[in-house]
Amino acid sequence: MTSLVEKILNGDEKSAARLISKVEEENSGAYTALSRLLPHTGKANVLGITGPPGAGKSTLAGRLAVAFADSGRNVGVIATDPTSIHTRGAFLGDRLRMKNAEKKKIFIRSMAHRGYPGGLAKAAAGAMYVLEGLGKDVIIFESVGAGQSEKGLFLLCDTIITVFTGDYGDEIQLLKAGLTEIGDILVVNKADKPGAEEAKKDLEAFSSRVNTPGDWHVPVLLTRADSGEGIEVLTDAIKRHWRFVAESGKKEQKKKEKLGLLFIALLKEEFWQRTQKRLKKNRLFKDVLSDVRSGKTDPYSAMQKVLDSLGTTNI
Amino acid sequence: MKAKAIKVLIAKPGLDGHDRGAKVVAHALMEAGMEVIYTGLHKTVDDIIRIALQEDVDVVGLSIMSGAHVPIARKYMQKARDAGIDDKMVVIGGVIPAKDIPQLKKIGISGVFPGGTPFLDIVRFIRDNLTHA
Repeated sequence: MTSLVEKILNGDEKSAARLISKVEEENSGAYTALSRLLPHTGKANVLGITGPPGAGKSTLAGRLAVAFADSGRNVGVIATDPTSIHTRGAFLGDRLRMKNAEKKKIFIRSMAHRGYPGGLAKAAAGAMYVLEGLGKDVIIFESVGAGQSEKGLFLLCDTIITVFTGDYGDEIQLLKAGLTEIGDILVVNKADKPGAEEAKKDLEAFSSRVNTPGDWHVPVLLTRADSGEGIEVLTDAIKRHWRFVAESGKKEQKKKEKLGLLFIALLKEEFWQRTQKRLKKNRLFKDVLSDVRSGKTDPYSAMQKVLDSLGTTNI
Repeated sequence: MKAKAIKVLIAKPGLDGHDRGAKVVAHALMEAGMEVIYTGLHKTVDDIIRIALQEDVDVVGLSIMSGAHVPIARKYMQKARDAGIDDKMVVIGGVIPAKDIPQLKKIGISGVFPGGTPFLDIVRFIRDNLTHA
């Protein structure tokens, strides 16, 4: 893996692609490689895009990627799509919306979320570090696309764009936690469609955070990702927000939080993997599981029984 | 360490604008538990090489209805060697006359699936012939 790290730092895309695969496979050597890449990271501007399916996230991500590349930035995109709960297969259809990106030296990686919660794949953080190691200074994440529980996205990004369309629902949707509060910039895409102007007004009314002087004011912007209309205004807003997080010290603060939370997330996952392995060999667990399935015992007391047998030490 | 999911790129090289076949094959492979990326229409061979490299796929499937399968396959294999990704399995589907199959195999195409091939045959071929997945 040593040579892989060297090659990535020298800008070799193939090695970067390979390492991302190894991170997805949870190869322990890949984690060692990430440790070696980490000192070279932390400077990129990280942008997240979320919103409901069909709102135009991929097309918008493609437009922004090309716009930043045209202004001289080195852009990487990590696009996430859902994994089927039935077959564990996935159709990764974000990339094909990102027109012209292939010609602009933009590195795009499609990822199936493989059931991992938080809007991104488990390997997303690792992939981000790999792309930074490769020299990318703008990284765009596209989430699976619900917009309501995107913790992963929130964790990794400096700036989050939530994409709506004119038919987002009604004000009740906007009152729910998640959708409007996660966005630093709100976008009403498909601005040519009916309802877009009204949606913008609704969003402006409900997104107004309790503003203290010096706080970030969340802009609501109209775009047409298909034609490119509104993209320039949007990139300006993004750059303003990047300056804001840098100057207010929020980027530094978040970086620290990010690393702490990443550490806990990794640990939690590893604990569970190991416990699962132990449970698979555990006679009592198998018996209790079949008792729960047949209705002989309820899930709550079953859980207690297994926990008691495992003990609290020796995980 | 987790078992690797089989990752497949379905690509449309060149000018032909028919991608129903490509889409239904993509869907069938997804239903078989694979992770499938579709390039969309009108990609150059260079585009496809770049996508295959960045996505680190195990299999590249070229869907060709234009009749240009032999020159496209030859160009793809040459550029794959240049880019150092000739270790990936390459298969071709579309309108492919039986007489061209031996020539495609000679160029380095692992599997050829003319229109009408049962999905299960394609799935089985990929699973049985992938050595590194």
